[in-house]
Amino acid sequence: MSRSDVLVDAAWVEAHQGDPGIVLVEVDEDTSAYDKGHIRGAVKIDWKQDLQDPVRRDFVDKAGFEALLSKRGISNDDTVVLYGGNNNWFAAYAYWYFKLYGHHNVKLLDGGRKKWELDSRELVTEVPERAAAHYTAQEQDSSIRAFRDEVVAAIGAKNLIDVRSPDEFAGRLLAPAHLPQEQAQRGGHVPTAKNVPWSKAAEEDGTFKSDDALQALYAEAGVDFGTDTIAYCRIGERSAHTWFVFHELLGQQNVKNYDGSWTEYGSLVGVPIELGDGA
Amino acid sequence: MSGTQAVADGCGAPADSALVTEAGNQAVVQGTVTQAGAPVSTGYARLLNSGGEFVAEVPLGSDGAFQFFAAPGDWTLRVLAPGGIRAEQGVTAAIGKISRVDVVV
Repeated sequence: MSRSDVLVDAAWVEAHQGDPGIVLVEVDEDTSAYDKGHIRGAVKIDWKQDLQDPVRRDFVDKAGFEALLSKRGISNDDTVVLYGGNNNWFAAYAYWYFKLYGHHNVKLLDGGRKKWELDSRELVTEVPERAAAHYTAQEQDSSIRAFRDEVVAAIGAKNLIDVRSPDEFAGRLLAPAHLPQEQAQRGGHVPTAKNVPWSKAAEEDGTFKSDDALQALYAEAGVDFGTDTIAYCRIGERSAHTWFVFHELLGQQNVKNYDGSWTEYGSLVGVPIELGDGA
Repeated sequence: MSGTQAVADGCGAPADSALVTEAGNQAVVQGTVTQAGAPVSTGYARLLNSGGEFVAEVPLGSDGAFQFFAAPGDWTLRVLAPGGIRAEQGVTAAIGKISRVDVVV
């Protein structure tokens, strides 16, 4: 796995956006962004409506994922190129889903919607019509998804990377600073977790930093690349961004995203919590 | 634009909606970005802490507006917009207060 297998740039998208077998997908929490303008030919996936279970706190199951992709006209052998707002948080989260359900050929547009917009590239409102497909997903790949008991067991034993902002890590904020702060849960972080905010892996325009810069970033934070790693944030999308860095860009094995993240951990009864800025 | 109660369980870009008019128990930072008197509707507002570290980012609303729910303290607001536009302004946030920071680029 190398960077060119998993990341494409704007020039690549412009050269291939009409090619058969290439499907552009915009993934956002705020899908009004897509409605106002998107890359020509891109279909949309709504992070909440399409990717979350409407009843249980979990994400869409295998049958639901199959139905979603079939409806969007995505086939098993298509190359899926994901992009979105928030520096690709939700696109990275969707990327992780595609991998969980066994889709081989999936890539991220480096810089996502932000770089595309800042570079004043074409956005259209025309929604493409794609014929429905018949998508078959694999069983979930549990090697890239962590559950809460595994996180508790990883305290002091594995790399735990908390990718939220320093104020959230320390317990001073319970949500990112562009959201209201009320939450029925405790603040803080999983003991022994290192705080490496997702944003440190990205340039200001949303593109990923170089492999060398990324290696140096995590090494400096005390991450042991010889040990298994679990990344978490608040609801699992920022940590999907960091999972992408570790697993897809740096080629690390045994890297999991804990999608329950702080909204689950910080509400559990009896688990240890550490406050403050950490060591 | 701006975060509202309705999106409090998400981490992402909030829905396009009015800015809050009451701070409640939040430390609100909000403002608009304009160029020659007109709102800049394509662009991003980034909130940096007193050490210059990135903390949060939102896309500008169609009216050039942005909003953050910060912790109390001093912050830097940085605006990025197409055409290589960058602008910065300092702002101090406090609980129970809406701190305005209007940026002209």
